[in-house]
Amino acid sequence: MSFIPIVIFPALFILVFLGIPVAFSLIIISVSFGYLILGDLIFLQLYGPILSTSSNFILAAIPLFIFMGTILERTGIALRLFQALQLWVGRWPGGVAIATILMCAVFAAASGVVGAVEIVVGLMAIPAMQKYKYDGSLIAGTICAGGSLGTIIPPSIVVVVYASMAQLSIGQLFAATMLPGLLMVVFFVGYILLRAYLKPQDAPPISKEDNDIPLKTKLLITVKALLPPLILIFAVLGSLLVGAASPTEAAAVGAVGALLLAAAFKELKWKTLKSALAVTVRITSMIMLIVVGGTMFTSVFALSGGGQMVRDFVVSAEFGEVGLILFLLAIVFIAGFVLDWISIVLIFIPIFIPIINAAGINQIWFTVMVMVVIQTSYLTPPMAPSIFYLRSIAPPNLTYKHMYRGVIPFVMIQLLVLIVVAFIPGVATYLPTLLVGL
Amino acid sequence: AQSAEITWRMPAAISEGSFFYKNFMERFAANVDIITSGKLKIQPFGAGVIVPAFKVFEAVQDGIVDAGHSTPSYLVNQDPTNAIFASFPGGMGGEATLHWVYNGGGEKMLQDFRREKMGLHSLVVGIGTSEILAHSNVEIRTTADFKGLKYRTSGAWAAVVKENYEGVPTVVPGGEIYTLLQRKGVDAIEWSTPGANLSEGFHEVAPYIILPGVHQPSFLWEVVIKAEKWDALPEQLRRQIEAAAKLTTYESYAHFGHADVYAMAEYKKTKVEIIELDKAVVEELRVAGREWARNKAKELSANGDDTMQKVMDSYFAYQTNWSENSGYLVTDNK
Amino acid sequence: MQKILNTLDKISIILGGVAQFIVILLITSMIYEVVARYGFNQPTLWAFDISYMLNGTIFLLGAAYTLRNDAHVRIDFLSTKLSLRVQQWINGIFYMLILGPIFTTFGYVASQKAWKAFITSEVESVSPWAPLVWPFYGVIAIGLLSFAIQFFIEAIRYLLKQNVPGDHHGELEVIEEFK
Ligand code: NA
Ligand code: NA
Repeated sequence: MSFIPIVIFPALFILVFLGIPVAFSLIIISVSFGYLILGDLIFLQLYGPILSTSSNFILAAIPLFIFMGTILERTGIALRLFQALQLWVGRWPGGVAIATILMCAVFAAASGVVGAVEIVVGLMAIPAMQKYKYDGSLIAGTICAGGSLGTIIPPSIVVVVYASMAQLSIGQLFAATMLPGLLMVVFFVGYILLRAYLKPQDAPPISKEDNDIPLKTKLLITVKALLPPLILIFAVLGSLLVGAASPTEAAAVGAVGALLLAAAFKELKWKTLKSALAVTVRITSMIMLIVVGGTMFTSVFALSGGGQMVRDFVVSAEFGEVGLILFLLAIVFIAGFVLDWISIVLIFIPIFIPIINAAGINQIWFTVMVMVVIQTSYLTPPMAPSIFYLRSIAPPNLTYKHMYRGVIPFVMIQLLVLIVVAFIPGVATYLPTLLVGL
Repeated sequence: AQSAEITWRMPAAISEGSFFYKNFMERFAANVDIITSGKLKIQPFGAGVIVPAFKVFEAVQDGIVDAGHSTPSYLVNQDPTNAIFASFPGGMGGEATLHWVYNGGGEKMLQDFRREKMGLHSLVVGIGTSEILAHSNVEIRTTADFKGLKYRTSGAWAAVVKENYEGVPTVVPGGEIYTLLQRKGVDAIEWSTPGANLSEGFHEVAPYIILPGVHQPSFLWEVVIKAEKWDALPEQLRRQIEAAAKLTTYESYAHFGHADVYAMAEYKKTKVEIIELDKAVVEELRVAGREWARNKAKELSANGDDTMQKVMDSYFAYQTNWSENSGYLVTDNK
Repeated sequence: MQKILNTLDKISIILGGVAQFIVILLITSMIYEVVARYGFNQPTLWAFDISYMLNGTIFLLGAAYTLRNDAHVRIDFLSTKLSLRVQQWINGIFYMLILGPIFTTFGYVASQKAWKAFITSEVESVSPWAPLVWPFYGVIAIGLLSFAIQFFIEAIRYLLKQNVPGDHHGELEVIEEFK
């Protein structure tokens, strides 16, 4: 059976590239290799991931955010929001993409579920960016990268799971990821500005004439189109900040807010509601089944002794401090191509932590670097969850080619953030020191 | 190392790397390896890797895994008899529990109970110290302070707080407790022991720590194996595994206390105010907790199941004896 | 044949409709909890369990409906280089011989778990509300079995050349063509 952890990956890729839906590929591979280990019992065993995913409270944020995004999109509120934004930032290169990243950051601060953040913003922003003739790869990269902010900007499920395994304070880790998260946002924005400046055709600014609207009209449009959705977004965040709602519940506040907004604009038609509900069910089922497949895959990989294999490999390596950190981060980066975050955290992190402790490396600093690298796993093909989520909403002319090309610069930026944290550990370790002692 | 004759896949109901996992699961695996001279190898898995956290007992019953590591606390809803083994509001502290389990017949009763009701053989592998009653945003000094208190807790204590003191037990999933406490979405939370809570960082966001942990004065974790599988093992190996389990319990108990006292000293270095409830308040809470257990046992007996009553009688007799006659002990606390 | 397929389709359409209705229930139960806790200091014991159960229900009752719409995401930039007929064969065979049977078995396991939960009156393990779990387990079983049925239906459609893999695009419409 010791061959399983090795051949399980190529086997998976064959199915995925044969065009079998990603979730089905994960499930087929888990069942068939699991059968070699457990025989008939594999079905009882893999029923576990179905049950635990279906019973996960935190994942309930997914349909809530999707519903919110769809309502805002189908009623035209989202498009008008971006049109109003365009009046103000349209003369700037890349204005709408930048607004998209900032919106992602705000939603990331309200939720730790990456799929939820990406879909809600994607539904709202893609039509706008297409309307303003943004380049397909820039659209795709912006949505995927912006969506992945959900884990680095607190609150974040990844951080919570990691903290419990590493016996670190959730609060300290949240504080530690704050600056790197903001830094990532700043770098994303900087990249978009630079790209739009160098290649204006990728993110065309609006012409002078289009922008030549009397200030009074401009203000009126802004008040009508920009403020209401912004109030809604801040209601989501606000309900969280004042302690009225937990992160998952904040998503419900957003869903109701979107309904109220649509009703206030007299745009809540039966047909719109029906189609929003249908979209919500389709995307929720799609995401949840990928989570099920990923969890099944993790369990079969672990059952087959994959964890032990990784452990032997890591422990056998002898490095100095710098070499060790580089080696471990490289493992996370490479694993990120083929595994999702939950597998990486469940399988690799328990192996790393004692090694890091024994080497006397600052745990908070190391964890933040791992968190930054885990971000890349959402974007790196072939198993790139944020690309799968984007696929579920993308219009047909936004292709995989756009997506694969689009995420590359953003992955590089994430690695740039990693370098900054590596050379200036204070970016990670300063804020947590302010927390100690209340 | 010589090659193992038997390997057991064993999932835990707690995540790998966590405080409990290291103390119980990893320690037990290591002790089994030493004491059986490698004849039995435990292949441990953290919660959620191959079996969902709350399905460990069921996975062993289904035969998916050879053994499992969990706590009776997770079975209390199913059968409140488990609460007596898991520790409950008003129950014995860790030291007295340790004595009851190994010398007062506690483990034997747990084994009979598991075998009869679930077809499993049980070995106690961990007994714990007292938990922190609350990390709180508001002062709690009297039972009146529980009134209207939004308090993340569950199980028997939630029932006691609600029914006796008009408290407001609140359900919060594990990953969101910190955030909700920080933003005052709940007034208070209880989670685990001082040592285990230290790394959760609740003291960084809530200004009060309330003691002592009468709601969970101790706790117990076990390893379960299918009864047939256990019975089929060679006598010698069974004795060795039992020895490994017992050693794990004693070692981990000392480790818990050690970590708790260290953590308490750490809390004192912060601005958190540590409130120790008055003796009278503590006694009132404990009486209410025991009343909860008595009522549950009565309900079960009325339905023709007197196991809980029997276990509870043994437990309470031990507790009474302990409280009346342990005054000779030097406890070193001020 | 066509009639049978279309009739069987109704299962996933109806369950998908139920799932859509449940989205509204999910929003309602969570908002109820927020208002009850924050506004009235009276959190419910049930909203937590109800919320995840409703989410699980949306997922599982929607799975077959999502399959019917071919909305489970696939990476098809390589596979679309194969001829359409080959793609249909691949999908038809995988759905018919592997996925259909796999989900039938999961459905069977789920039914057994639901039945056992029913006869033993199993309750949720750590919830203070401690609801009976068989209704939720039953929904899981129904979801998985309907999913299995839909796999067989789609398989036949692929083999009959009625389905084109990847036919379903993302939920957004094309607004502007790229140059
Ligand atoms: Na977040
Ligand atoms: Na990836």
